[in-house]
Amino acid sequence: MSTINVLGLVLLVLMLIVGGRQGWLSFLSLLVNFGLFFLALILVDFHVPPLAVTLGLSVCILAVTIFMGTNDLEVARAAFFAAFVIFICLLSLVLVVEHFAQVPGFANEDSGELEGMSVLIGINYAKVATMVTLLSVLGAIAEAAMAIATGVFAMMRSDATQSITSLLNGGFTIGQQIIGTTLNTLFFGFFGGLLALLVWFVGLDYSLGTIINNRIFVAELITVLISFIGVVLTVPSATLLCVYHFHKHLDKHEEKQ
Amino acid sequence: MTQFFKTHPKKAWLALFLLVVGLALILFTAHDQFLYRQPIGRVLTVKETSRHKRTDEFKNVDYQMTQKLTVKVMNGRYKGKIVQVHNRYSASGALDQHYRVGQEGFLSQINHDRHGYSASLNGLKRDTILVFLLWLALSALILLLGSAGARAALSVVLNFGLILGAISVNLRLQASHVVLIFSLLAVIFTIVTLLLVFGANLQSLLAMVATLLSTFVSLGICLVVMALTNQKGIYYESMQYVTQNPRTLFIAEILLGSLGAVMDESSDVVATVFELKRVDQRAGFKKLFKAGMQVGKSVMGPLINVLLLIFFASTFTCALLYLKNGNSWGYTFDMSMCLGMVQSLAAGIGIVINVPLISTLIAYVLKGSDESVND
Repeated sequence: MSTINVLGLVLLVLMLIVGGRQGWLSFLSLLVNFGLFFLALILVDFHVPPLAVTLGLSVCILAVTIFMGTNDLEVARAAFFAAFVIFICLLSLVLVVEHFAQVPGFANEDSGELEGMSVLIGINYAKVATMVTLLSVLGAIAEAAMAIATGVFAMMRSDATQSITSLLNGGFTIGQQIIGTTLNTLFFGFFGGLLALLVWFVGLDYSLGTIINNRIFVAELITVLISFIGVVLTVPSATLLCVYHFHKHLDKHEEKQ
Repeated sequence: MTQFFKTHPKKAWLALFLLVVGLALILFTAHDQFLYRQPIGRVLTVKETSRHKRTDEFKNVDYQMTQKLTVKVMNGRYKGKIVQVHNRYSASGALDQHYRVGQEGFLSQINHDRHGYSASLNGLKRDTILVFLLWLALSALILLLGSAGARAALSVVLNFGLILGAISVNLRLQASHVVLIFSLLAVIFTIVTLLLVFGANLQSLLAMVATLLSTFVSLGICLVVMALTNQKGIYYESMQYVTQNPRTLFIAEILLGSLGAVMDESSDVVATVFELKRVDQRAGFKKLFKAGMQVGKSVMGPLINVLLLIFFASTFTCALLYLKNGNSWGYTFDMSMCLGMVQSLAAGIGIVINVPLISTLIAYVLKGSDESVND
């Protein structure tokens, strides 16, 4: 058996032991996300416009991550809408930033790997870059939206008469609690994979000016910063959407009575 | 607006201050050519001179264009001179790019002959857009989340500095102790980050111990599995930008990649169990352990998904190129995605193991302190 299969099996067994049913669902969501990711690759390979693929599959990935990540349907619904709103905001931000930064595809540092390959593949790499940035941000905004929604719903259920201001404050307090560790999750997630590139930069004595204009480095940093911005903006948007959903629910309840 | 100034004077002034600083920084980086040693040119006019259809051996259809640019040199010896640049680019733009009027880029090979100056443009000046985004992220953090946001940003900056420091130590030792250096770095990272985020207290100490334990245990499991399966299906030659032994570098990447997520999970569990203990002073080991497991179970799935998407997205561009070069799906997976897959699985194992570990640890410690209070 290959290493990847064995590691996957170990992960599955551990998740079942630790999480039981929830663990099984989480493992399933990993598999489905992996499948969706592969589907994205196939679709782009068949020349479906990358931005359309991004939009369609991002909705699926957000839904899978959020709805399979929690048992609480109300929380999941609010979190999903909040994450989707933020996703649309980020989409426009990424389009603007990529227009100015122009960091698609590869750079001189990749030339070793690209040897013997045809790079004229007829797919716009600028759009692929936008897609990559947005795909890597999805998990982070889904996770943040769930954390905020869980907290805010707990507050509203314990005391349904709270004012919107106090709920907003509560949402921001939760945001303050999670922001430090969430940013570091993203930072290590991204820079864990960039270690080799950083060794290259330091080893070959790149100047600061070269690094901050380098195509790959700027592309990665843009992704990191966009995901930071996404997580921060999720805090108010998730709180507001939770309050909205909760009040709509309450109103319906009152009408029935 | 004036209303907001009256109700939240501090916040309004802070926003104004950030806005002014941001504008100043962006203006500065737009005019910082004098700081660069490489000559920088601004594109004045653009004319497309040719357009050819290209079909490669895999039947990919693309277009190759040539642009004739007039560029004004902005700094250095040739400052103020107008140079001619021929730029070849493709519609897909994997390695090249087209230039627009007003953009600035780095010039090289500036020559003078009887037709005037000529040069080639390689690469855009991207510092302004980077500074803009940096400013946007920092402002959002500080304005929306206050000091917690500022501390979070500070911890990220510190960690970035630490990584660079560790890399230069690693290079000075000629990459002879990569795993040792980055293991030490992981310990320092954990301590610095949790101190900044949580402060110096029992909560941080517990989170630190659990984080490090789970990270190293998961790395251990990963190494054992690799050894037992003879690393079948792991292709180190597919690793990008490698300048030293790829295997040890990859181990360091596994170590660092999951560190943040495990810290995240530990701090969630610790915060919840401490809160439970505060509300219910008499909670025993079993109840505390259960509460910890409950939180851990619910956060582990989303956290693994965060890392999975990050690791996979980074392989996307490469995988697409392999596919379009007529490679099979299997070969494409091996060459562009297998390392990312191993990394996400290793991170996942660390995140899952951490749940019972931190729950046991914290339940044991809090139960103990309770008994001493009762005695």
